Parts: sequence; structure tokens; C-alpha cells
Amino acid sequence: MLKTPGIMVIEPSSEQGKRRAAGIFSRKDSYLDAEAIKTSLKDIRGYTKNNCVPLLDQLKRSLEQYSGVKVTFAENAKNAASRIKEIAGPTTLVSMNKSNVVVNELRPELHAMGLNTHLRYFTEFNNFDVETFKKKVEDYWSVPGMHGRGLVESFEVRKQFLRLNPSEVRDYVAILGVNAASAEDGTLYFLQHMSNISKDLEQARKIILVVSVEKVLKDKEAALLHTRSMGIFGLESILLDLNPNPAEAYDFDQLPVLPNIQEREEREVHLIILDNGRTALLNNGYQDLFLCIDCRACARQCPIGKHLMVERGLVYSPKNYILAFLQGKVPPLDECLHCGRCEVECPVGIDVPTLVWKTQIEYAQKHGRSLKKRLLDDPEILAKMGTLTAPLANWAGSLPIVKRIMELTAGIHHQASLPTFHRRTFKDWFKGGARE
Amino acid sequence: MSNKVVYYTGCWANYYGPEIGQAFVEVMQENGFEVLVPEQKCCGMPMMANANLKGAEKNFQFIMKSLYAAASPGYDVITTCPSCNMMLRKEGRKFFDSEEAKYVSERVFDADEYVLRLHREGRLNTNFGEVPLKVFYHNPCHLKVQGLTKEPLDLLKLIPGVEVVGTNYNCCGLSGSYGMKKQNYKRSVEIAQKVWEEAKKSGAEAVVTECGGCGLRIKEGTGLKIVHPMVLLNQSYKAYKARKAA
Repeated sequence: MLKTPGIMVIEPSSEQGKRRAAGIFSRKDSYLDAEAIKTSLKDIRGYTKNNCVPLLDQLKRSLEQYSGVKVTFAENAKNAASRIKEIAGPTTLVSMNKSNVVVNELRPELHAMGLNTHLRYFTEFNNFDVETFKKKVEDYWSVPGMHGRGLVESFEVRKQFLRLNPSEVRDYVAILGVNAASAEDGTLYFLQHMSNISKDLEQARKIILVVSVEKVLKDKEAALLHTRSMGIFGLESILLDLNPNPAEAYDFDQLPVLPNIQEREEREVHLIILDNGRTALLNNGYQDLFLCIDCRACARQCPIGKHLMVERGLVYSPKNYILAFLQGKVPPLDECLHCGRCEVECPVGIDVPTLVWKTQIEYAQKHGRSLKKRLLDDPEILAKMGTLTAPLANWAGSLPIVKRIMELTAGIHHQASLPTFHRRTFKDWFKGGARE
Repeated sequence: MSNKVVYYTGCWANYYGPEIGQAFVEVMQENGFEVLVPEQKCCGMPMMANANLKGAEKNFQFIMKSLYAAASPGYDVITTCPSCNMMLRKEGRKFFDSEEAKYVSERVFDADEYVLRLHREGRLNTNFGEVPLKVFYHNPCHLKVQGLTKEPLDLLKLIPGVEVVGTNYNCCGLSGSYGMKKQNYKRSVEIAQKVWEEAKKSGAEAVVTECGGCGLRIKEGTGLKIVHPMVLLNQSYKAYKARKAA
């Protein structure tokens, strides 16, 4: 059997139920304290942000003691994909977990290289009633707000893979984005809501573990807290994603178990440490993205999240979008309403709305601004013109022909309601009032 | 707290909803305050939203100088628009900080918040008359993310006759010119569905909200009358006086 680092899979725990029951008897509040978790989380994430390079070196050294895992460092997604293709050899069938690094960053490159990828997560939805899970945008808001009520779900280590058992091996490649890695001893952590990750660890002939550089933590304790927190703060966003996705479905369980014991014994475990533009963030004003644990709590209240997930096929979160922009893969997030809700949700306090503005401004400085943007950016000029010509401006603004002209020139939708101009502004009244 | 306050009107209360500015001034006068309205410009948030950093900086610094000069004896700065409030208090300084901005941002209050503060300190004129009205309350994003979710309802509770028959804390989808833009309109209207449906179902006669943009969007989908809390509060003071006079 392969000598690999410990692999811990974290799942929703029944402990929560036990604690609740205990709480009823002892009449004490038995819930975990979300604020206390946030404080510890900020500490350990801050450590990673400030010590990224030494932590990476330490992780590499820790992994050297495990002869069963071959470690590669990839500077960008293309390099990582080439390495994966090399590892896969003649096999083109790939299962992957629903992690940002794997789906958003590696998947397009892998497809370009002719690999066939499936998110096994969705395969487990086969028995779901599609109608029940058809969601409208407004359902996005209807998820119970656990943290608002001071409730915290709990996630604990449920499965440990210290040695990979070869009895169930099938001929495919699993690419798994690691949620946290302990630099101290190389232990790797995954969060799973379904059983896709543990199945891949049991079944895939070749396992490729992808660790993006910000996922390296000081020690096991920190890595465990990071991974549990992903579950705790991301639970509500996970619920929003509970949609069957037939296009992703592929029944890996039905693949035949390799008959040849020798082949099974030849399982391979690879680990790719991927940068893909992340260390550059430490010097360009986006360093707070390094604090992110990828819980996707920021997606929960994002008014546009539902749309963007569907429209762009990403594992969406406002933070993931910013990262994809900085990696040069998507245009700036013009769809953002700057409502500020993501910042409030973030357990490590990343000011996502400000970073979105920063991306838009930097993009505009490089590429210029469209005429429509320039026309609409100063509401006061429009307001002054409208006030001077009210009520004529109000009447003109209501004409279908004018609405169409505004749509063509300023990009204002012809059905959009416009505010009404007043001949006498507040300041006119205020000054007049003072004179009277 | 001093007996003078500085009022930052923002574009909405000056150009599109002058009744809000008037109501705020009268409410403050009812409480013995003199309201100062120094020179001002748009807060700059719409410029930031359209990636115009220079324009936003110019406006923000102009405003901060002007508000600083007016507020420097120690007066508080009050806004009636949630987005201006967030820009002056929090967002602007992240890009264009200055000593003046620091001084001003630390004394910026939302009007609801300020009136309630007066009430908690026992300084609010509570001569409220009846305003019989069933209202639906919509909490704008830019108050919600600043933690101002409870204050507006506490304020409405002070007004006899006002009955809150429903509340909503979702985004209305408008966000200034965002929801008016051709490329965003469809998405924006979809986001608005939740608040539209809830407001219509509630049986309210009017929708109370602090944000002019939210009001515009909610009116578009419900046809309901939109009222700022300051307008209701002012009506209540007037109702008291009218009853007393009669």
C-alpha cells in the first residue's frame, strides 16, 4: 500500500444534535459561538497570508517523507493541466470535486487537452425530484439565516485515509482540490457534504490532489479549523447549490473494479501545488484574498449570484469572480450592485465590495471607460438639467420615442422607471424658507 | 450633541424628493435644532460605480472640506439617503482619506438613527399626532449592511396610527443607475420580484423606505405610494399641532 500523508475528510456531524439535546437538559446555550470561531479563523488565515512562502517550503519538506506521493509545483493552470495530462496517460475519464481551483481554474485547460471531466458531486443527485429543486431567484433569499440566529452547524472528521486501500480501484483519474494542508506534517483536509470525495479516494486509480498556495496552514489544528469553518460558514451557500445537474452526471460506481491485483497495487497519488497568480496578490493590494477559506458565505446574499452561477458556469462567489478577473479570465464584475452584503457575510472580514470597485477602476484606467458609463456617472449633471427644464423634462422622459433614444444613447432600458424632476429643489425651498 | 446639525442632502432629497429634505429640517426644528446645509455635491458613489475614480475623488474631497467646515464646532452630520451615508461614513475613506474625512465620517448619522438616539437620551419631542396608515417597510441594502435594520422599525413604532403590516430586507435590484441600464434591467427586475410580491400581498397603503432608488423600483412594481420615515414623522408632529389647534 502507498505511503501517503494522512487525508482527513470532514463531514456534517451528529454532534450538533447531541449538543442540542444536552443543552435542553442542562438549560444552557449549547451552540458553538460563531464570533469566537471567526476570531481564531482570522488569526490562522492571517498567519498564512504573512508566511506564505516559508509555509510552502515547509509543506514540501513534510511531504518528502511520503514515498507514495509525487509532488509537483505548478506556476499556472496551464502547467498544472499539462502535468495532469501526463499523469493521466491514456485515461481520459476524470472525476473532480466542486472546488474553485479545480472547476474554475483547471477544468477549461483540461478540456482543451481532451480530458473528459465530471463533477461527481452532482451524480449523487440522481434520485432527487427535479421539480422540487427548481429555484427561482427569490428562493435565494429564503434560506434560513443560521448565523443571524446565532446558530452554528458543526463539522467533524468522519473519515481518515492514512493508507489508501486498493480493493475498490477503477480505471479513472480523480482530481481533488484540497481544502487545507498542514505544513507541519503534510496532512490534507477535505470538506464533503456528499460522499464524492471519499469515493474518489477509494476508487480512482490515479489521484491528483491540488493544493492552491493559500490553502497551506501552519499545522493540523489550523487546517482542521479552516476546513470545519468552510462547512460552518458555507452551509447556507451549499444549500443554494442543491440542484441536480444531469449534464455532470456520470456513474463512476458502475465502472468495473480493476481485475488485476497488480494494476490495483499500482495506484498513484500525485500532489500539485498551484500558484496561478496567487502569490502576486500579496503585492498588489489584493492580499486580503489570501485570507479566504472558500466557504462561499459571500455568495449567500449576493443578489446576482444565482444569475452568474448559471450564466457563467462557475463555482460562483464574489471572491471567486475577483480572483478569476485577476487571473485574466473574465471581464470586471460590472454586474455587481455594490450592495455590500458579501462583506457582512465574510467570516474573515474581506472587504469584497471595495475589491470589486478596485478591479473596475484598474480596468478602466487600462482600457478607458465606455461613453455610456461616462454619461451616467454624474447624476447631478442630469438632475440639474432635468430640474431646469421640469416639468417639460418629466413629460419628455415619459415619451416612448425619447425612451428609445435614451436606450440607444445612454443605455437606459426603455421600461425603466425614472425619477421625477422638481422645479423647486430642496435647496430652493431651504433658501427661500430662510429668506421668508 | 449640540443644538445644531449639518444636513447632507445628497442628490435625491435635493432634486427628486425635496419633501424628504423639508420633512427632515422640520423634524429637527421640532426638536430645537438649527439645520445647517453647507455647499455640497453628489457623494461620489455613482461615479465609483462607473469606475470614475477622479470624479469621485473630486466630489468627495469637496464635500469633506465643506462638511468639515460646517461641523467643526462639534456638530453631527445627518443624511437621509442610505447610500450617501455609507459613502461618507465608510466607503469614500477607503480610497480618499484625509483628516477632514476622518473627522466628518466619525460623526455621520442616518436620520432614523439620529432621531432614535435623541429618543433614547430622552431628548426627542414626543408630541406625536395620529397618522393612520398601513405601511410595508423595506430596509435598503446600504442601511442593512451598516447594521441599521431595527432602528427604522423602532422609529415607526413611535408614530401613533402607523401600522407595519410587512417588512422586507432583500435587495430591490436598482442600485442607482445599475437597474436602469439596458444590460442589467432584466436581472434587476428579477431581483425585485421578492420585495414586489411581499409588498403587494401585505395589504399596505404605502411603502416606507429611506432610499430614493429603492422607492423608485418598488413603486415601479407595486404602484404603491413611497414614504420616507422623516416624512411620516413630520406628518405626525403636524397632526399633533393641528389637533391641539382645533
